[in-house]
Amino acid sequence: MAMDAASAASQYAHGLIPACAGVGLRFRHHHEVVEGHATAAWFEVHTENYMGGGSAPAYLDAIRQDYPISLHGVGLSLGSAERMDVQHLARVRDVIRRVEPGLVSEHLSWSLSGGVYLADLLPLPMTEEALTIVCTHVDQVQTCLQRRISLENPSTYLRFRHSTIPEWEFLAEVARRTGCGILCDVNNIYVSASNHGWNALAYLDALPPESVTEVHLAGHSVRQLDQDQIIRIDDHGSRVAPPVWDLFEQALKRFGTVPTLIEWDTDVPALEVLMEEGAIAEAAIERQRNDNLCTYAA
Amino acid sequence: MTTCAPTLLELQWAVRRDVLGLADGAASEYVVPDGLAPQARLAIYRNTANSTLLRALQLTYPAVQTLVGSEFFEGAARRFIDQCPPSSAHLDSYGELFPDFLAQMPEAASLAYLPDTARLEWVVNQVLHAPDGKPLDLRRLEQLADADIQSLRFLPSPAARVLESCFPVDVIWHAVLSRDDSALADINLDADPVWLYVHRGTSGVAVDRITEEQCRFTAALLAGRPLHDALVDRADAGTSVWLAHLLASGCFVEVCLSSQASRRTTWRQFA
Repeated sequence: MAMDAASAASQYAHGLIPACAGVGLRFRHHHEVVEGHATAAWFEVHTENYMGGGSAPAYLDAIRQDYPISLHGVGLSLGSAERMDVQHLARVRDVIRRVEPGLVSEHLSWSLSGGVYLADLLPLPMTEEALTIVCTHVDQVQTCLQRRISLENPSTYLRFRHSTIPEWEFLAEVARRTGCGILCDVNNIYVSASNHGWNALAYLDALPPESVTEVHLAGHSVRQLDQDQIIRIDDHGSRVAPPVWDLFEQALKRFGTVPTLIEWDTDVPALEVLMEEGAIAEAAIERQRNDNLCTYAA
Repeated sequence: MTTCAPTLLELQWAVRRDVLGLADGAASEYVVPDGLAPQARLAIYRNTANSTLLRALQLTYPAVQTLVGSEFFEGAARRFIDQCPPSSAHLDSYGELFPDFLAQMPEAASLAYLPDTARLEWVVNQVLHAPDGKPLDLRRLEQLADADIQSLRFLPSPAARVLESCFPVDVIWHAVLSRDDSALADINLDADPVWLYVHRGTSGVAVDRITEEQCRFTAALLAGRPLHDALVDRADAGTSVWLAHLLASGCFVEVCLSSQASRRTTWRQFA
């Protein structure tokens, strides 16, 4: 039986992730973080990287002693028309039991078809059929894990002809039907809005603030096409772009202060670079916190 | 052009064929061109997927990549990815068949030691990522009755494997990863076969060279053969010492008893 929306949402009250800046933890930084060289308030890891034993989960166990941890998965393929990979879901459950994370998140996408894992977060057609399937799978996951998950908006490079629902409405409706949270990736909104001619602010405005549990920030690249066209690629390989920082400020105004993550997955830089990016996010959160206090005082 | 709206299943099968490089144009018909050809849009996903899987193979087979060079490795990996895509998102378990694929590549035939070097890297990778398990508590052996010894079997640690090769793959592997050119130059590919015990200790994965007898005995126990039978097969004064070494190195996590009459079907966990 699926969890009802209210009970799923109430579990966030017991979450351990503070409304501060966190950083995506990658293997090359394990030792430095254990040695106490990080200033982040919390860390997020990719669930799939900790599904075995050995040194990686041992490091995470040690880091978990000092920092809240969020688990971010890429492999559940919630948008697949076929049955879920229940073995993979069991592996996710095992990691959750070991890490006891404050947040658990996945993507509004698909990657499994015909027994093949396609190794990317593939876009869904925004249709009623896809909406029903995603909600069914989110229910299945939340029931199995006995906790709320959050769903991240994708960065996309194509749209399907037969889509009938704007992506932001699709995501909000999944949250409404299942009680899941929304992981608002501000960089993804910027990338998709740029690639498809959407209004990024309108996207933000369409998301229900009470459902937003986390924000992601990352860098993206710009690929030059013919005829002066460009396409933006969400490659997590650089600093957060200035327009994305601006959009983040707008997100904070709309959602209030929420846990905010700096993601960097390709050409991972020195830990201090990630801390610098985290400090910029933290400063913006602090400004919003002060604005909130001024509003209450008035 | 008008296209009937596909079901989600139909669309995902079409996109899957495109990502796997089997494009028949079906997926493109479902995509809005919007100033850029649908094929170019789909290619972004195909490239990302291939890069992710290539990276997974590079992480598992670093010595193989160094031996053949990045360009050759990338070409071989891409052909392997086309033939054997993964079935799950758990990419630590992807690439088991890559050594067999290399063995059948005509372009790699001159490097006879390459498939076995890859097999060693796969075993090392599996041991590295194997689930954690507590080593067998030796006090459990003391609690056994004499009659139980006949049917004693060990449950192996997933972080313990044995491997044999006609080539000195342990030396090759170590020399390549440590960039020890002089050690590489000294390797004699015509030397005797090697038998290896690969296990995870407190300081990481260890690759120990062992004797053929030790390898056969360990393989039998890892496969679930009763200890008594394995000892009879390998009657040797040093076997008991080697068994003690296996126990001390955490090769087993539990013991089981199975009666002679129901050995094939009934196992009783010793507690």
